[in-house]
Amino acid sequence: MRAATDDGRRAMIAKRWGRGLLISAFSALLVIYVAGPVAWLVSSSLQSEADITAVPPNWLPPKVTFGNFEAIFSNTTREVTYETRRQGDPATGRFLPSGAENLLPALWNSFTVGLWVAILNVVVSITAAYAIAVIHFKGRQAALYTILATRVIPDIALIVPLFLVMRNLDLVNTRFALVVTYLAVTVPFTIFILISYFEQIPRDLYRAARADGCSHVQALRHVYLPLSLPALVASVMFAFLTSWNEFIFALILTQNIASQTLPIVISGFVMDFTTSFSFVNAAGVIAIVPPVVLAMMFERYIVSGLTAGAVKG
Amino acid sequence: MLERLGRQFGYDERSAALLVFPVFAVLMVVAVYPIVYSFYTSLFDIVLTRPWRRPFVGFGNYARIFADPQFWTAVQRTTVYTVVTVSITTVMALFVALLLNEAFPGRRLLSALILLPWATPSIVNGLMWKWIYDPGYGLLNGILVQLGWIEKYIVWLGDPDKTLFMIANAAIWKQMPLAAILLLVSMKSISNDLYRAATVDGANVFQRFLHVTLPALKPGLMLVLVYETMISIRHFDLFLIMTQGGPGDASYTLSWQIYVETFRNLKFGIGAALSYVLALATFILSYLFIRGFGSKA
Amino acid sequence: MARIRLDGVTKHYGSVTALQQLNLDIRDREFMVFLGPSGCGKTTTLNIIAGLEEISEGNIWFDDRRVTFTPPHKREIAMVFQSYALYPQKSVFDNIAFGLRLRGEDSASVDAKVKSAAERLEISHLLDRKPHQLSGGQRQRVALGRALVRQPSVFLMDEPLSNLDAALRVSMRSLIKKLHLAMGTTFVYVTHDQAEALTLADRITVMRDGLIQQLDTPDAIYNRPANRFVASFLGNPQMNFIEGKIAETSAGPRFVRGDFQLAVDPEVAAGQGGRDVVLGLRAEDAILAGDGGLAGAVTLVSPLGSEQHVDMDIAGVELTVRASKDQSLAIGDRLSLAVEPARLHLFDATSEQRLAASS
Repeated sequence: MRAATDDGRRAMIAKRWGRGLLISAFSALLVIYVAGPVAWLVSSSLQSEADITAVPPNWLPPKVTFGNFEAIFSNTTREVTYETRRQGDPATGRFLPSGAENLLPALWNSFTVGLWVAILNVVVSITAAYAIAVIHFKGRQAALYTILATRVIPDIALIVPLFLVMRNLDLVNTRFALVVTYLAVTVPFTIFILISYFEQIPRDLYRAARADGCSHVQALRHVYLPLSLPALVASVMFAFLTSWNEFIFALILTQNIASQTLPIVISGFVMDFTTSFSFVNAAGVIAIVPPVVLAMMFERYIVSGLTAGAVKG
Repeated sequence: MLERLGRQFGYDERSAALLVFPVFAVLMVVAVYPIVYSFYTSLFDIVLTRPWRRPFVGFGNYARIFADPQFWTAVQRTTVYTVVTVSITTVMALFVALLLNEAFPGRRLLSALILLPWATPSIVNGLMWKWIYDPGYGLLNGILVQLGWIEKYIVWLGDPDKTLFMIANAAIWKQMPLAAILLLVSMKSISNDLYRAATVDGANVFQRFLHVTLPALKPGLMLVLVYETMISIRHFDLFLIMTQGGPGDASYTLSWQIYVETFRNLKFGIGAALSYVLALATFILSYLFIRGFGSKA
Repeated sequence: MARIRLDGVTKHYGSVTALQQLNLDIRDREFMVFLGPSGCGKTTTLNIIAGLEEISEGNIWFDDRRVTFTPPHKREIAMVFQSYALYPQKSVFDNIAFGLRLRGEDSASVDAKVKSAAERLEISHLLDRKPHQLSGGQRQRVALGRALVRQPSVFLMDEPLSNLDAALRVSMRSLIKKLHLAMGTTFVYVTHDQAEALTLADRITVMRDGLIQQLDTPDAIYNRPANRFVASFLGNPQMNFIEGKIAETSAGPRFVRGDFQLAVDPEVAAGQGGRDVVLGLRAEDAILAGDGGLAGAVTLVSPLGSEQHVDMDIAGVELTVRASKDQSLAIGDRLSLAVEPARLHLFDATSEQRLAASS
């Protein structure tokens, strides 16, 4: 028989411990699920080909080598020709992937394009979002739906016509073509985020600013812009990540080495059977670092920026 | 008369027009024109191997598509893939959101960590999982053999029965975090008072979940389902990197078919028509979801 | 300093008509109050005067200028809001200075104006703070300062005191009144609080469902309400309404409802025998006499500190009357009621319009 004073306490303590246990277990599982594959990617990139092709696989590199990364970073100076091609990893017969020296320029391309898209995105979206969210003009609904409707058609459908447009404008193989394309791809979503956020700002502030003498542009600048930081950060992040990530359009619109972006070059490696596994993994690590770092750094803003609309359903 | 026009195009209207103009300018060129042109293309029988002859066939391309058994295979593959991806993503996201809704030390860190898959480029995602699935040296085989669950190495991506699910797994890994965040946000807006009332009424954890959490999540769930479906139905990058539609036609989805018809068979008309069928399917599905859940996103 | 004229103003929101053919004349330097329940259109009218909303039909004039199409930032108005609407990231000084800086005034002049407005509103010590560090009353003063400093032709106020607690409201009311006297600008003030309207206004516009019920001085509106709605909206406690008929008797016209009978003003009721009317009686107009007049029993006593509200049952009619705080009353006490005929209000039972003297 439990003492009358004891009933509740035991159960409560048990519940607390049980909850703690469950949370720890699930958290651990989540961490493994999320970080595991990436950890494996990193680990593979730090192994030599010989280690990597061992069976059973080595979880941790038995000997950490930066050889793959060296190959990437130093290859810019060395041209891969028939004579020099055998200077890679011994395990693969020392073949260097013939596109190895393209990785760094491609990295640079991806980076520049991403930056431009992120910046232009904010400029273009903010004005449109303000107009749609704040100015109650006729055709406001129609404008919004039209903008969102451009994303209904799958990208693949748009590639060929887009290529023709770019060719007619003599913009094939330019970063400009990519920037403009990615703008069109990302703007609908950023506008949506910004509109949701703007609608949360009290309307009286807008009325006060207008009464104080603000034109629309001034109201945007003095009232809405300062109060929308999280949404702006979320938009910039989203724009940069999307264009860093983007594959199909880049595949078609950039056909020469000089203008290709990172995903294209990496996919080239994967297709090239002479590429060593560890090298491909190293390339993958390089591609993954910038977006992940950015996402982690701005996590708080991303979440609160995205949530303004989502909370309302 | 001029007066009426003045009312229509007052200061507000003019400002709005100016502010919205940049967006429309960009979209006109890069989105609207290709969309229209693409639809136009779908009405012609265009094969690039004989560019001189391009007869107008109206909806003939569409008819050919629906009569093509390959198309229906693609539909089946896409359906299986999408259903698996969306359902598992949503369920996992729900659990993760429930976990993150609780307060515990390190939650902040965990929330930041789960963005990792979201930030991973899809090419790297494909490459990473392809390496994990590698028949010779992959991690999956290694683990399973060490655990004693299998005896010899399996060719994961090469097994037609498994292919779609292996690809789906990669997609789920990447998409789940965002879905979890969207659901988490919806959860946070549920008033604490509802939970308190339920507890007082005698509800246990499961009942509270069933009667308080789930109903309030309806709009959030709908948003997640619609978004995930739209994305999964048109997945392409993973298929290009991992299986290229194979083995055989095990992973021959609609997106892949569009790619093959357009860029390998060079049948631009058919490719365009297929795209529109896919777009229409997406649209209809989204509409059904929204109607089914009865609220606006 | 401006005279505002609304001419046939109509405002549609989709299929809903918020304002219908509104004609309104606000005199220069006047303190005009828009009074009415929520949804009556008073805030819409204010927004329209400000230029924050466009009108579907009609015109607005400031003095001789037609401002129908002029955007708000060109109308020389200033506005104060119920929610204060202070710029959260700016200091109090910057909040007040904002409008001036937008106009391009040099910093010396801005500085002087802000400081003088702050002094007048007794917030000089708060100039460096941010809005979230201030109390409701202080925030509203900053909002007033922001409006003051622009020296507008029209001062617009949208229920500025509704978020403040009762005591603060009273002190702010006098502050606003003093400001009006000192500045001599046209004030347009929106509220649903009849006490505010009565104390502040030079004239009141009572609105309901987008239509003007009565536009007149507070005195006229209180003592000669144009219809039952206006009569019921003003006065605390609410006016007593009794349905009945007018009967012509040898002693002159009387209001009759069963045993409840009162003599009414012959100028208004003569020749109206048999007409269905609603009698209006304000609580303070009933004289509690010892005898004579109508007799009835007390059913409830509500002490308010400064006075008492007494519910009575007189010949089957329920009334609320006022008694002084010193009178000791209890439920069941029998009292007599007398009223001066001229103080009774008569409204037609169907149209609810006031019966006017026919002359």
